[in-house]
Amino acid sequence: MVTMQDIIHSPLLLILIAIGLLYIVGFSVVYLIKAYKHCLELGMTKDDINKVIKSSVFFSIVPSLSIVVGLFVLISVMGTLWSWWRLSVIGSLSYESMISSSVASAIGFASSGEMLSGATGQQFGVVMILMSIGMLSGFFILIPFGKKLSMSVNKTETSSDWKYVFSGVFMLCMFSVYIPVLLIGDTIQALVMLTGLVVAVALGVLASKPKLHWLADFIMAFSMIAGMASSLLWLKLFS
Amino acid sequence: MSKKKEKANLDSFQAWCHRWGRIGTVIALIYMIALPFIVLGVYDCMPSIGDVFNLATMGILMIYIPVGFSEALTYTPILGSASYLTFITGNIMNLKVPCAVNAMNLTKKEPNTPEGEAIASVAVAVCSIMTVILLALAALFSTWISPFFELPAVKSASNYLIPALFGSMTLGLFGSTTSGKKVVKGGVMGMIPVLIIISVLALLVRVSSGGSLFGAVGFLLIAMLPIAILSSRIMWKKGLIKVVDKEAK
Repeated sequence: MVTMQDIIHSPLLLILIAIGLLYIVGFSVVYLIKAYKHCLELGMTKDDINKVIKSSVFFSIVPSLSIVVGLFVLISVMGTLWSWWRLSVIGSLSYESMISSSVASAIGFASSGEMLSGATGQQFGVVMILMSIGMLSGFFILIPFGKKLSMSVNKTETSSDWKYVFSGVFMLCMFSVYIPVLLIGDTIQALVMLTGLVVAVALGVLASKPKLHWLADFIMAFSMIAGMASSLLWLKLFS
Repeated sequence: MSKKKEKANLDSFQAWCHRWGRIGTVIALIYMIALPFIVLGVYDCMPSIGDVFNLATMGILMIYIPVGFSEALTYTPILGSASYLTFITGNIMNLKVPCAVNAMNLTKKEPNTPEGEAIASVAVAVCSIMTVILLALAALFSTWISPFFELPAVKSASNYLIPALFGSMTLGLFGSTTSGKKVVKGGVMGMIPVLIIISVLALLVRVSSGGSLFGAVGFLLIAMLPIAILSSRIMWKKGLIKVVDKEAK
């Protein structure tokens, strides 16, 4: 009988994942070239765009390393290949991690360790299908309505005043939900967030000095790292 | 809106994204759904429909489905034409949205403008490539590097990515932008009902159970968006939120 171990170490799975990832990278490269050229057409300078690329590379590293931490949590539950695939496409670190803790019991195992050693291929198939179709719900909105949603907030010279207000509502709403949840819900989360903010303000002040102007490109990245690192201190002091 | 007028409102890059980005997304989706079925078919261990959809597994789907809806409704209007690539590569709130916001802040461009969407697309594409490369390296060298990523300090700091991101992003809210000829004054006023509701809920949960609403943010965003839109509309009509020319600011 085919076991979960056979599937998670399968060369076929590896090949299919490699093809999928090559497609994603190819798609990203095409997007990048198109967007880069268009930025130039819109009057942005090469320097400006390269500054964004440099900052994005740097900015991506720390959150990606957090995703790597999640990868190792998932690997202990589902093996390297499937975990790698899930976190490289559609998946989200927080939700994949949440799933990893509940998936074993959903298919009748007491723990993830028991599932890893005892699940059949068919049982792991349930996990694979569930994880693949679960996050698709967003695409039922994005594919048919993505253009309409974007257009509804697109600002042009002839846009009405309401459109300017409406277009800002989504970002403000995101902050208005997250900030009280982070500030009130958990002391450490609140302190980490405030540390990130204070460091961002301090770096902003420093970046206004001519010799430190280069810092401006990395304010978000550095303040995020400082915020995360501060969690170790806050945990020591308050938990 | 007629097709012709719609087309006239999109610039060439936005039109390309909404056509080819969408086609590319559909291809990726078909592949992602087909992948487990191909493997299970070849290994002849396809589970029955009853095995996949039952009371125990519905709990898992109930986590995923509302989050997907919430992300699409909240982040598509922020990311615009960069949404297609963002949604395929995932990790939206903990990576792609902050990266796009960072790019728009750096170049002082606004979301929902051709300039803002183009530069956000550059950032999201770079970020997607970086993540795929880093994850591939991590998977490839997992045996050697796992001790570092399993250090308690690294694991613990990783849990605080989102609060740290919000701390660093909040400053950008107050930054000035150069694109667009108008400025919204008092936009935060429209968020007062949302801030009050979420603060009261967060406080209630904290006091009653010592817990946090952090795990429920996806649901809260869906619930709060209509309230935010409605209150912003009312306050704009009453003149509490104003749109003024940039020069007059």
